[in-house]
Amino acid sequence: MRDRLTEALKSAHDIEYVDIRLEDKANTWVNFRGPDLDSIGSARTVGGIVRALYKGGWGYATFNDLADLTKRVAEACETARLIGTGTTYFAPVEPVVDVVKASLVKDFRQVPLAEKKALMEEYNQIILGYHKSIQASSIRYSDSFKTIWFANSEGTYVEEEVPDVNLLTAAIGREGDIVQTAHETGGGIDGFQSVECFHDKARLAAQKAVELLAAPPVTGGKYSVVTDPILTGVFTHEAFGHLSESDFVYENPRMQEIMTLGKRFGSERLNIIDDGTVPGGLGTHPYDYEGVPTRKNYLIKEGILVGRLHSRETAAKLKEPVTGNARAVHFQHPPIVRMTNTYIEQGTVPFDEMIKDIKLGVYALKAIGGETAMEMFTFSAGYGYMIRDGKVAELVRDVVLTGNVFETLHNIDQIGNDLGWDSNSPGGCGKYDQHPLRVGLGGPHIRIQNCVVGGQQ
Amino acid sequence: MIIEQIIEKASQKAQGVQALLLTQETSAVDFDNDRLKSAQSSQRTQIEVKVILDGKVGISTTTDLRDIDGVVNRALEAAEFGSPAHFELPEAQALETVKIYDPALLPLQKPEMIRMGQQMMDMIKTYNPEILAGAAVYKTISRVEYANSRGVHYSADHTDFQVSTGGQLTRGTDILFVSQSLGQKKRSVDTEEMATQAIEYFRMAENIAPIQSGDMPVIFTPKGFIALLLSLGLAVDGKSVYLGASPLRDKLGQQIASPNLTLIDDPFVEYGPNTGAFDNEGVPRKVNPIIEKGVLRNFVYDLDTAGRVGAKPTGHGSSRSLTNLVVQPGNLPYEAMLRNIKSGLLVHEFLGLGQGNPINGEFSVNLLLGYKIENGKLVGRVKNTMLAGNAFAALRDITAISREREWVSGPYSWFSGLFPYIQVGKLSVTAK
Repeated sequence: MRDRLTEALKSAHDIEYVDIRLEDKANTWVNFRGPDLDSIGSARTVGGIVRALYKGGWGYATFNDLADLTKRVAEACETARLIGTGTTYFAPVEPVVDVVKASLVKDFRQVPLAEKKALMEEYNQIILGYHKSIQASSIRYSDSFKTIWFANSEGTYVEEEVPDVNLLTAAIGREGDIVQTAHETGGGIDGFQSVECFHDKARLAAQKAVELLAAPPVTGGKYSVVTDPILTGVFTHEAFGHLSESDFVYENPRMQEIMTLGKRFGSERLNIIDDGTVPGGLGTHPYDYEGVPTRKNYLIKEGILVGRLHSRETAAKLKEPVTGNARAVHFQHPPIVRMTNTYIEQGTVPFDEMIKDIKLGVYALKAIGGETAMEMFTFSAGYGYMIRDGKVAELVRDVVLTGNVFETLHNIDQIGNDLGWDSNSPGGCGKYDQHPLRVGLGGPHIRIQNCVVGGQQ
Repeated sequence: MIIEQIIEKASQKAQGVQALLLTQETSAVDFDNDRLKSAQSSQRTQIEVKVILDGKVGISTTTDLRDIDGVVNRALEAAEFGSPAHFELPEAQALETVKIYDPALLPLQKPEMIRMGQQMMDMIKTYNPEILAGAAVYKTISRVEYANSRGVHYSADHTDFQVSTGGQLTRGTDILFVSQSLGQKKRSVDTEEMATQAIEYFRMAENIAPIQSGDMPVIFTPKGFIALLLSLGLAVDGKSVYLGASPLRDKLGQQIASPNLTLIDDPFVEYGPNTGAFDNEGVPRKVNPIIEKGVLRNFVYDLDTAGRVGAKPTGHGSSRSLTNLVVQPGNLPYEAMLRNIKSGLLVHEFLGLGQGNPINGEFSVNLLLGYKIENGKLVGRVKNTMLAGNAFAALRDITAISREREWVSGPYSWFSGLFPYIQVGKLSVTAK
C-alpha cells in the first residue's frame, strides 16, 4: 500500500502539501429493542480522502472508489489552486514511518455472530425480566475493525489498525405517563472481553430506570453540585475542552483575548489535561490524522491556562507547538482539531469530605449528553441525588446542568481523590458534522458552587 | 446491472431480497472565519442488501461495488440469526411524479458557488465588520436505485442544494452565534434574503435585555419550533408505538394538540428537502397527516413495525424519518402576534435540545438565541436563560399561529419543514 500511496502522491504538482488517507473498515452489529431482535448485520466501508494545500486554501477529494488515486490527487490539487489566494500556515513536523498493529485480548472478528447475539439476548432478558414496570429495553452492540493508511508529500507513512467494541444496555421504565430511561455502557479498544460479563451492569440499568419512575424531577435553581467522575469528564470535555480546540481561536482575535495563555481560569487546585497516550483510553492513538505523534498536553495547570489543542495549521498560525490533535471520524472528512482523552487531574478531597458541609445540593451522576456554544454549556446527568445536611438523600430525575464556563471553572472549589474514566462516552463526541468520534472522558468527583440546575421551579 | 446481480445471486438461497444502490457526487465550498477555507469534491457509492431467509431477516452494506459476493454472503449469514420477518417485500406500484431534479444545478461549478458564499459573507461584514462570518454552498447529484425479488425496480435521480451563512460576534466573554441555512432540491435560492435574515438576527441581538424568571408566553420562530416537534417526532415513530414507549401510543383520533394546529408530512412538495416518490424499502411515499386540527391522525411505520402492529407501511423508510413537515398557516400576521404580548420571549436556537427524556415531552434547554418581548416589541437578546416545560403540554397550549411561514432545513436540523411562528400560552423561564 505504501508504494501505491507514494506513487499517487508523486502526481501532485504546483502544490505546497498533499496527503492521502485510506480506510478499510468491517463492522458488525446486534441490536435488540424490547423482546425483539431489532437488527443484525454487517458492513464494509472502504474509501479515502486526499487533502491538498495551496496558499492557505484546502482542496479535498473524498471517494469510495480506490481505483484511481492519481485522479483524486489531481482533483484535490486543482481545487486547492482554485481557492488558495493567501498565505499557508502549516507547522513543520518530522516525518515518521510506522506500522501500528492492534492488540486484542479477545478478537471480536473471531467471535461468531451467533455468539454475539446470544450474549446480547442474555442482557436483554435481564432487563426485560427485572420488574413489571420495565416497558422496553434497548441493547446496542457494535464492533469495528478499521485499517488506516496515511501518507503525505513529506515522507510520512503511518499504517494503523483501530479496533473498537461498543455496548449500550438501556432500560425504559413506564408508570402511567411517566417514562424513564437508564443505561450502562461498555466496550473499549482491546477486544470482545470488554463487553462480556456485563450482566450486573444490565441489571443496574433496569434497577435505576425503575427507581427513577418514583423519583421527583429536580427543582430548578442554583445549588452546590457534586459531579461523579463520568459527569466531571463530560463537563471538562464539553464546557472547557471545546474552547481549547484552536480552530475556534486561531483566526478569531477576540477569542484569543479570552483564551490568553497565562490567564487564570480556576483555583490553583485545578489541572486539566488532554492526553492522547493514556493507556487503553478511548481517544488514544499513537499519531493523529496528520501523522503527528500524540502527547500529554496540559491545558490548565494550577488554575492557569497554559496550552491548547492544535492541528498543524492552527499551531503554525498561533506560533505554538503541535499537539497531535487533528482527528477525523472517517475518510469522508478532513481532520479537524479534536480532543483525545480529556480529564481533570486527581486532587485530594475524599467524597464524604466534599459533601459534608453542603446543606442543600445536588449530587449528579452519569451523562445522557452535553453540548456547548463556546461560553455556554448544557449537560444532562443520567440521574441525581439531593444532598441534604451533608448527606446523600433522595433520588431525583431530569438533572440538567447549565452555565457559563468561565464562571463555572472558577466555581470548582474541591477536587476529589478518585480519578475515574467513562467506559464509553455515550455516542462519542460531535463537532460540526463529524460525529461520533471516540474520546476519553474522566476525572475525580468535583464540587461546583452556585451551579444552575435546569428544571421547572 | 449491479443491483440485478445482487438480487439474482441472493435469490439462489433467500426467499426474498431487496437491494438499494446509491451513487452520489458532491461539490462543496466552505467559508470560515471571513475567508474561503476549503472546497471539496466527493464521490460516494453505497449498496444495502436485505434478505429474507427461512423467514428471517439479515442485512449488510458495502461501499465497494466489487464486493457483491461479500455483501450478499454477509447478509445471508446475518439472516441465519436474524429477527423474524413480519412483512413481505412490497410489490410494484404506480409512483407519484415528483420534482426532485433541477437540471439548472448541473452546470453549477465551484467558482460560482464561491461567488454565492462571498456575496453573503460580504453582506454580513458590511453590516458589522466585527462579525467573523462564514458560509457554505453544497451541491449534490444522486442516483438511487431500488430493486427486489418481486420484480420491483425503481430509480430516481435527484439534485440537492444546500446554502448556509452566519457568523459569530464576540464581545468581552459574550459570544453570539447566528446561522441561517436552506436545503432543497433546486438551484434557485435567494442568497441575499438569507444574508439579510442572518443580519436581522444579529441586529435584534445588539442589546442585551434583562429578564426575570417566571412563566410567560413564548413565540417559537419557524426554526425554534423544532424544539416542540422533537418529542412529537419520537412519539409518532411506529417503533416507539409498537414497543409501548410512546406516550401517544393509544391516542390516535384523539385531541393531542391545540385545534389550531395541523401538521402534514408531505413527501411530494416540489423540490422539498426530503421529497421523493419511494422510500429505501421500495414503499411508495404518500401524504400523511400527523395532526389535523389538533387530532392525532397517523404514526410512521416501516415494513417491519407495520408488520408487527398490523398497520400499513407509510413510506418513511427503514429509519422511519419524517419527510417534509408542513404546518398549516394561521391568519395572524407575525407582527400582530408580537404586538399582543406584553412580556414574553421569542426563541430561535437552543443548546441541549434532545437531552434528558425527550420522548416524554419534557425539555429543559438553554437559549442559544432568544429575545425578550416587552410591550409588543423585541427589546434585545436574553442571556443565561433556560426554557423548560413539556412539549406535549405546549402543543396543547398553542394560542396563535402566524400567517408567515419559512422553510427550515439543513444539515444540523432535526426535521425539515415549512413552519410558521407559533405562540405558546405559558412556559417556564429560568434566568440566572
